[in-house]
Amino acid sequence: MSVVKTSLRNFFAHKGRMILSGMAVTLSVAFVCGTLVFTATMQTTFDKLFSQSASNVMVSPATAESSFEEGNPSGRPDSLPGSIVDDIEAVDGVETATGVVESTSIVAIGPDNDTVGPTTGAPTIGINWSDVELRIMEEPEGALPQGPGEVMIDGDTASSSGLGIGDTLSIVSVTGTSDYAITGVVDFATTNPGASIVYFDLATAQEILLGADGFTTVYVDSDGNVSDAELRDRVEAAVDSDDVRVLTADEFIQENQDALGEVFDIIRYVLLAFAMISLLVGVFLIVNTFTMLVAQRTREIGLFRAIGASRKQINRSVLIEALLLGVFGSVLGFLAGLGLAVGLMALMGAIGLNISTDDLTVSAAVPITGIVLGITVTLVAAYFPARRAGKITPMAALQDAGIPGDVRAGRIRAAIGGLLTVVGALLLVLTTTTDEVGPASGYVAGGLLLTLVGMVVFAPALVGSVVKVLSSVLLRGFGPVGRLAERNALRNPRRTGGTASALMIGLALVTSLAVVGSSMISSASKQIDEAIGADFMIQTSNWQPIPPDAADALRNADHLSATSDFMLMPAQVTTPDGETYEQSFSVVDESFPDMMRVEMSEGSLGEALAPGNVSIDAGRAEREGVEVGDELTITFRGGEETTLTVGAIVAPGSEAEGSPAYTSVATVAESVPEDAMPLPWMIMALADEGMVDEARASLEEAAGALPTLEVRDQADYKKMIEEQVGQLLNMTYGLLALAIIVAILGVVNTLALSVVERTREIGLMRAIGLSRRQLRRMIRLESVVIALFGAVLGVGMGLAWGLAAQQLLAMEGMDVLVLPWATIIVVFIGAALVGLLAALVPAFRAGRMNILNAIATE
Amino acid sequence: MTTPAVDETNGPSGPPAVAARADNVTKAYGAGDTQVLALDQVSVGIDKGAFTAIMGPSGSGKSTLMHCLAGLDSVTSGQVWIGDTEITGLKEKHLTRLRRDNIGFIFQAFNLLPTLTAAENITLPMDIAGTKPDKEWLDTVVNTVGLSGRLGHRPNQLSGGQQQRVAVARALASRPEIIFGDEPTGNLDSRAGAEVLQFLRRSVDDLGQTIVMVTHDPVAAAYADRIVFLADGRIVDEMFSPTADKVLDRMRGFDAQGRTS
Repeated sequence: MSVVKTSLRNFFAHKGRMILSGMAVTLSVAFVCGTLVFTATMQTTFDKLFSQSASNVMVSPATAESSFEEGNPSGRPDSLPGSIVDDIEAVDGVETATGVVESTSIVAIGPDNDTVGPTTGAPTIGINWSDVELRIMEEPEGALPQGPGEVMIDGDTASSSGLGIGDTLSIVSVTGTSDYAITGVVDFATTNPGASIVYFDLATAQEILLGADGFTTVYVDSDGNVSDAELRDRVEAAVDSDDVRVLTADEFIQENQDALGEVFDIIRYVLLAFAMISLLVGVFLIVNTFTMLVAQRTREIGLFRAIGASRKQINRSVLIEALLLGVFGSVLGFLAGLGLAVGLMALMGAIGLNISTDDLTVSAAVPITGIVLGITVTLVAAYFPARRAGKITPMAALQDAGIPGDVRAGRIRAAIGGLLTVVGALLLVLTTTTDEVGPASGYVAGGLLLTLVGMVVFAPALVGSVVKVLSSVLLRGFGPVGRLAERNALRNPRRTGGTASALMIGLALVTSLAVVGSSMISSASKQIDEAIGADFMIQTSNWQPIPPDAADALRNADHLSATSDFMLMPAQVTTPDGETYEQSFSVVDESFPDMMRVEMSEGSLGEALAPGNVSIDAGRAEREGVEVGDELTITFRGGEETTLTVGAIVAPGSEAEGSPAYTSVATVAESVPEDAMPLPWMIMALADEGMVDEARASLEEAAGALPTLEVRDQADYKKMIEEQVGQLLNMTYGLLALAIIVAILGVVNTLALSVVERTREIGLMRAIGLSRRQLRRMIRLESVVIALFGAVLGVGMGLAWGLAAQQLLAMEGMDVLVLPWATIIVVFIGAALVGLLAALVPAFRAGRMNILNAIATE
Repeated sequence: MTTPAVDETNGPSGPPAVAARADNVTKAYGAGDTQVLALDQVSVGIDKGAFTAIMGPSGSGKSTLMHCLAGLDSVTSGQVWIGDTEITGLKEKHLTRLRRDNIGFIFQAFNLLPTLTAAENITLPMDIAGTKPDKEWLDTVVNTVGLSGRLGHRPNQLSGGQQQRVAVARALASRPEIIFGDEPTGNLDSRAGAEVLQFLRRSVDDLGQTIVMVTHDPVAAAYADRIVFLADGRIVDEMFSPTADKVLDRMRGFDAQGRTS
């Protein structure tokens, strides 16, 4: 019988034992393939949208590099002059030129004073209706909006808000707030990317979105007698301006694809990173499975060797089994990945981003990547057990099957693992000794990797001591059954170590993230306590800037002794030495020093905010050789070039919010026209002495006009940060769940295989009077001990990682260390539950074992 | 129920007390045409305080009979008693408790848990039951089987003979009403086997223990007080105060039969 045939027979004979390893491969590969398919499908959806909507030539302002750049801080999009459409239409080869005005800085408010539009962060888009819209929209129902006071909305928004023709919408824009009657509803012909769309007629759109006669984009369609490139050149020549960008349809599509592609790349890499973690955890499972299968087949393999099979053949036969496992697991994984992608799309649909399964994009690279990855990982994991199988001597056939229990974790292995762990830990400790972010990140990264590898290698050596301590605490109450469980957990340190390591990885990540999260929350709230003097901070819930009307109402609220806007304004700065750099300025009012304390290494915040002055951060000042009193040439976005004086230098790491380059609203207004002044993204307010409650009531009333506004005092503000960090942590935990599920499969697998391995032992114990209940309890306790061992390692390593990360981030201001005791306790309780859960099936199967079969001699 | 195996239930004039009894026990595997009778209407009583051997060629049903008597296997029809308890029809839970408290086992191989020391293996049945071993009795047992120096050893540090002695000690330690041995010396060389058999013999003579042993080895069977011969699932003969030669002769008879049938 050939080697391949033997492998095939073995594989199918033991397919039950392979199921869990196969599942680990399947899950990880599914995650990888699902991620690739999902992001590719998203990309296809948007690509389609772009290519369907693009005209032969697209004309836009030079500053609006792409639709996904941060918009103009003034809330008014950059625009082209109104005369440009006629200029372009006159170009030879142009059939039509359609001017479009589009802005995302609007808020639509329904009759019940609630926001109409996406709740997921996707924008509400205000735009004029024109024929180019028909490329992505169906024929409108009802009437097109005509003149001021009329709008048309998209069908998805209509159905989600329950509004329809005849209802009234209130629209808040940069130019003010007005009521509009809905005259029509129009459905998406293509996929709705999740946004809400409000259509106006052209004049209304220009008036409320721009406050001027202009366009944000001109769609230029050719008469068909000229190439896109040629037409682009002609249009370029006709408009002849540096402020205008002219692109062919292909260039436009490519540019948008690239911009969006960056976003999807980030999503893809984050998801793939988590898939890799679970794949890594899966490796432990596969190693354990094959090690146990080889151990169980020792005599059989010995027999093969005795009748003449070479080491190589034995080695290969195990690897062929692994190959089969990898192929099955990966192919299933690829299919499951498709299902996962469809599921994710359905989930996106539930939150408003409709992606059609017609667009499901599966390139050949997806199955190839997934399957090659799955097979490679399986083979690599099976390599060592296969080598061990090859080393089995023919003598093994003659000896009693080696009863595991005398397998000692190798001393050399322990020494290497210990060394790696210690070096890694030293690197982590080194983080505390440096103030430079660069080397510190290096220490943390190196320390993380070395401690991880070191602990995985070292874990078997720790089994003895840690399991004994755990058992003496936990299993004391369980008498002989507890003792048997302890001995079973101890009998094969390498197996217990490997199983626990799988769990350790996920739990270490959870713990270290929890350390960082809780430290982040406490550091932020300490900074708020130390730095913020304002009683109230008002922001919108969707991070849009505050529209002018609402800002005015807030500034004029009663019982306030002072308010300060907080705007962000991009600018180009040139130093006296002629160095030019981009800098975003925190633009605030003169009362700002009462609202927030900013530590200065030179000068004061007041001096930074004095007319004609700015501040600069210490690092920049040092690099550029700039001192207090120096003059900087600054061009704020949309403004004239001006010369401002450095009034103060901000100490490193002292800013709680925004940018360390401060200047006053009045100073910026000197060189920037009113229309181009940024909208505040936050307004800070100080209540009159003893009138805090009254001030709050008054602010709440002023904020009432815009449902997205949130009035927060310092406690609310802290809570918001806490919630944000909590959400981020929960999302990460959710993604880590996959790795933890694979680790749980690993525990189940180890237990199930060891139950099979101990068939005769179990039969003996049952024969001499161990009840089923006691037997099941023994297996459950063993499982709990293994899981808790993993939790001890994971929490220990996670704390070390978290501490080092906090030390690193302390340089960025996260200087409070808080240990997340609640999370740690949850991790331990969770690990114990995982242990119980994992033992469910193995314990049941052990209990059902037939005693006679179990004790029957071979 | 850790009564020493002393005759309590019967007066001096009554018949010998019975520690275990099979009554018309039939054990069938399969059904219809392919039905195989492993035991065919077997009735046998195991005397208290005696050493009984069950012999027979391979496939005679001797192991099945032991398994049925010990409550490890169910019967197709008939009844089995351990002491005064009918075990046929007992629930699994009660059977487990009965095995734990009233029965001792010695198997051919794999008698000991590899993770436990010799001492822990010996007291395991009592540990499982949650009862305290009688220290004095334990010492007696351990001394009888000659293991006092090896109690802290793991099974893999003991020779095959020592391992079987530990198994004997475990079976004796809880003073069960009856001990079943399934080829307890099958894996041992003749010297180690003789040692173990002597301990079994002594535990019957000195400690009053009841022992039933399945074996195919005439020398081993000769240690018994009585031999029950099985062939084709039926009891075909019985022999009291056997010697190895007598047993061998008898077995040769079976072999001849077996070849002709």
